[in-house]
Amino acid sequence: MTGFAAHGVVKRFTRGTETVTALAGVDLAVAGGEFVALVGPSGSGKSTLLAVLCGWETPDEGTLEPAAAVDRGWSDLALVPQALGLVADLSLLDNVLLPARLRRHRTTRTDAPGDPVPLAHRLMADFGLEHLADRYPHQASLGEQQRAAVARALVLRPALLLADEPTAHQDRDHADALLDALRDAALDGSAVLLATHDEVAWSRADRVVSMRDGRLAAGAPS
Amino acid sequence: MRLLPPWSRAPLLGLRQPAAVLAVLVTTAILACAVASAPLFLSSARSAALQQQLAPQCAEASWPEVGVGVAAPVGDRAAGLAAAPQEAWAAEGRASVPALLVGSALGAGGNRQQGVPVAGADGAALSQPATLFWRPGALEHVDVLDDGGGDGVWVPASYAQAAGVVAGGTLAVGGVPTPVAGIYTDLFDTVPDEYWCDYEDLFTNATSADTPPPALLLAGDEQTLVDLAVAARGSLQSSAQVEVDGGTLTSSRAAALGAATDRALARLPDVPPDDGGKGADPRLADAAGRAEVLESGLRGPVVPVAVAGGLLALVLVAAAGSFWADRRATEVRLLAARGVGPVPLAAKAALELGLPALAGAAIGWAASRLLVGGLGPAPELDPAATTAALWAGVAAFVVGLGAAAAVAGLRARGTAERPLGAAPRWPSRVPWELALLVAAGWCWVLLEGRDAVVSQAGVAQVNGLLVAFPLLAVAGAAVLLARVLTAALPRLRRWAGRRRPPVFLAVNRLVAARAATATLLVAIALPVAVLGYTATLTASSRATLDAKVGVQLGAGAYASTATRVDPAAVTGSDGTTVLRFGNSSLTSAGGAGTDVQTLAVDPATFAGSAFWVGSFADRPLQDLVTDLTRETATVPVVAAGLPTGPYELRLGNVPVDVDVVATADVLPGRRTADPVVLVDRSRLPQVPPSAGSDQAVERWTDGDVATAATALRDAGAVRVLDTVPADVQRTANFLGITWTFGYLSALAVFAGVIGAAGLLLYLEARSRSRVSGYVMARRLGLSRAAHLRSLLVELVGVAAAGVLVGGVLAVGAVAAVYRRLDVDLLRPPTPLLDVPVPAVALTVVAALAVAAGAALYAQRSADRADPSSVLREDA
Repeated sequence: MTGFAAHGVVKRFTRGTETVTALAGVDLAVAGGEFVALVGPSGSGKSTLLAVLCGWETPDEGTLEPAAAVDRGWSDLALVPQALGLVADLSLLDNVLLPARLRRHRTTRTDAPGDPVPLAHRLMADFGLEHLADRYPHQASLGEQQRAAVARALVLRPALLLADEPTAHQDRDHADALLDALRDAALDGSAVLLATHDEVAWSRADRVVSMRDGRLAAGAPS
Repeated sequence: MRLLPPWSRAPLLGLRQPAAVLAVLVTTAILACAVASAPLFLSSARSAALQQQLAPQCAEASWPEVGVGVAAPVGDRAAGLAAAPQEAWAAEGRASVPALLVGSALGAGGNRQQGVPVAGADGAALSQPATLFWRPGALEHVDVLDDGGGDGVWVPASYAQAAGVVAGGTLAVGGVPTPVAGIYTDLFDTVPDEYWCDYEDLFTNATSADTPPPALLLAGDEQTLVDLAVAARGSLQSSAQVEVDGGTLTSSRAAALGAATDRALARLPDVPPDDGGKGADPRLADAAGRAEVLESGLRGPVVPVAVAGGLLALVLVAAAGSFWADRRATEVRLLAARGVGPVPLAAKAALELGLPALAGAAIGWAASRLLVGGLGPAPELDPAATTAALWAGVAAFVVGLGAAAAVAGLRARGTAERPLGAAPRWPSRVPWELALLVAAGWCWVLLEGRDAVVSQAGVAQVNGLLVAFPLLAVAGAAVLLARVLTAALPRLRRWAGRRRPPVFLAVNRLVAARAATATLLVAIALPVAVLGYTATLTASSRATLDAKVGVQLGAGAYASTATRVDPAAVTGSDGTTVLRFGNSSLTSAGGAGTDVQTLAVDPATFAGSAFWVGSFADRPLQDLVTDLTRETATVPVVAAGLPTGPYELRLGNVPVDVDVVATADVLPGRRTADPVVLVDRSRLPQVPPSAGSDQAVERWTDGDVATAATALRDAGAVRVLDTVPADVQRTANFLGITWTFGYLSALAVFAGVIGAAGLLLYLEARSRSRVSGYVMARRLGLSRAAHLRSLLVELVGVAAAGVLVGGVLAVGAVAAVYRRLDVDLLRPPTPLLDVPVPAVALTVVAALAVAAGAALYAQRSADRADPSSVLREDA
């Protein structure tokens, strides 16, 4: 089984003299092919958990399986951060294809199996971005940028996909398109963890876990 | 009206953006430095011109001096006149050093005569009269041979011997028995110290060794001299000088001294000119006048250069205003969205940036003061120039802050109002730079009808158009080329799509910010072009000037004599001996005669010592000289300014059949406009003195001219004259040219600093998206090394392109101008081209090093970023 597991993860931050415990012993496992929605109020620790899982933050306590590391490739661990992280100097299409380019994939369309280029173009089309392919991120709306960031996360069919509020700036139709794509990724074997406030997403997930004050609980909040 | 917090708290809010504060502070400092440097530089140049003119002269040349003289007999007026100059200076509140001279006397027949008649111990009149001199401290600057310990006059040893007196004896000076206080070594037998520099005429006679000056009797004290002047019915010259350090003199101080001199002169008693008269030493005033001429000549090119530098810096300040708008984007967008217009937004920017701009202007003014004082022609600056620079700094603050605020307000408002993906506004598509090129063309047309270098009162000055033309042309062409190159960038993007990630990312960054790329390209190309242009023209004008001097002298220096010595007997380890025929002519068959300068040379040593530049002929000098030794029936000669063929050479009235076997454009030793003819000395017949050929034997050398003079004396020469480069060219005359290009070079370096500051601003303005992109790209699989390579490709690539563009522009500007930069039209050769390879190489290396350093800096900033917080901040 691919996917990941976190055991007893604790993460604290120091702000001045105050110590804030963002994650207070989180245990969570997501199996390959599973689509899990992580829900909770703002400041509950969702983004911190994703940062720990992708290796940008180091846990103070607890273990991760497999060990989170920033050098894990995009096909192992892809991410849609809240800030999106699109490269401002690349067009939306080039942003989507960037993971493939950095893995020395060809970025011209071929019919070779596993070629990410057709997938990139399909995702652009599915997300309503085809006509914006040559635009820079700043020439697109925030919602369009967000969809491009999700397309970029999916382009190498990652084993683990972490997405932080990927539908936050979407209308319902586009949000559904994104959720469909994430659902399809899970069906293809990816472990998908989605931090979201979108209640529709909860219903599309295989499982919902809720977070409050750095602690996880099964099921959606009441 | 009550200000809302965004405005009332603006000065404090501004400090929360250290990057924007720093950007405005630095850019305003650069602007203030640019505009404040002009008056300071002009003042510095004026001081240096004054000091450099005074430096080769005696120290007294810079001492204001007034004097009064009365022809013999001075009579009862002596005491009053002797004290008058000192009293005049004292009335001005200045202490002065007096000097008294009795240079003539009324003879027995009532005729005034040079010197005072003196009779020796035996009462017999000496054939050589004497001059009586007194100046404080004179006896401390002579070699005392015998001190009698009493009052009286001090007598030079040779004169004492002729008079048969010793210390304690008596001389009859103008018929007045005068005790001999002591004996000193004749000054012309010693190497007199600086004290005597201005009084050499009293004991030497440079123009004729046959008529020695009167003997110099030094009065033991002032009263002795005055008493003798009266008793001997002599003349009296009394002067007083105010001691001044000419090495630190400023023009304003010289002017003040000049005014004081005029007032002191007016206080002297009036003496009719035919009875002596009164006057002031003109040397300081002359030097100050020439310094003024030089400064006025500099003003033409320097002011436009300073304005250009100021405008360039103003663009940078405006960019800093835009940077502020980026940094405060969230707040200004919010304000703009709530209907706040560009004017209130500009006011907010002005309030936030006012303090840093003020500090920057103050720093810029202080920096200009330090830079000009430390690196300018002279560290001494006029107080008026410092004040003018201060006002320039204030203007820089006001204009700079206004520009930054206006751009910030417009950009803040424009950013909020501009729709996504909107096309660039029309002003950015208009090729405004064509106006610069048209202006450059206009300057060139004007320059065609005028001299590029003009001489006013013997001071060479660069025509301002010669500076304006290349500046405008280079600036216009740089912007136009940058526009064309950046317009072609999208094609490069397609090419980069097939390249590896570092190239792909670098090219995409450049394409995505085409305006910034174009600006960066211009910011690098412009200083490189101006520096290349100025460095090359400075080196070329210096090389040309040196060549002109070299051609005139024939070598590094020469010693010459009109004494008939055998040139073959003049030998030495270095140098060559040349027999010059001042009166010679060359006549072709059936043609008219042409006056020439004939140099009979030693083919074995001539080429090794003579000044030569490859462009003088299409063959080396050694080859030309070898032609002189050809075994032919007629004497072979090499000529400059005449065609080849048979001629009759007349040396005075001695004819010699010669054949011009080779020619050159310029030959060394050319002293007049007549053609120069080189001939092997051994092939010429004896030319007797009666031939009227005006012969002179010269020893040319690149070494010590004193050695050359000794070689002539050893061969029997009696009177030998040394001629060195300083005798040919008065360096101060060409300072205007040197400093004009020096100032332009400083502008280029300054523009380079602007370019570097612009580069940092460019990086800082884009650092947020760059860091965010980098953090994400790292997650996507980009290695740190690949990212650094992409930065190097991006920045070093632009720098290399800028250097290339700048180099091409510099070559074009130099090619268009250098032939016109003839610092002395009368003397050959025509302008030479001298490319200062080390300076050019240093410029290229510096540009690339700054770009590489900026890439490392950007990489370091990206490395320090915390991915988690970066990707949250942007959210």
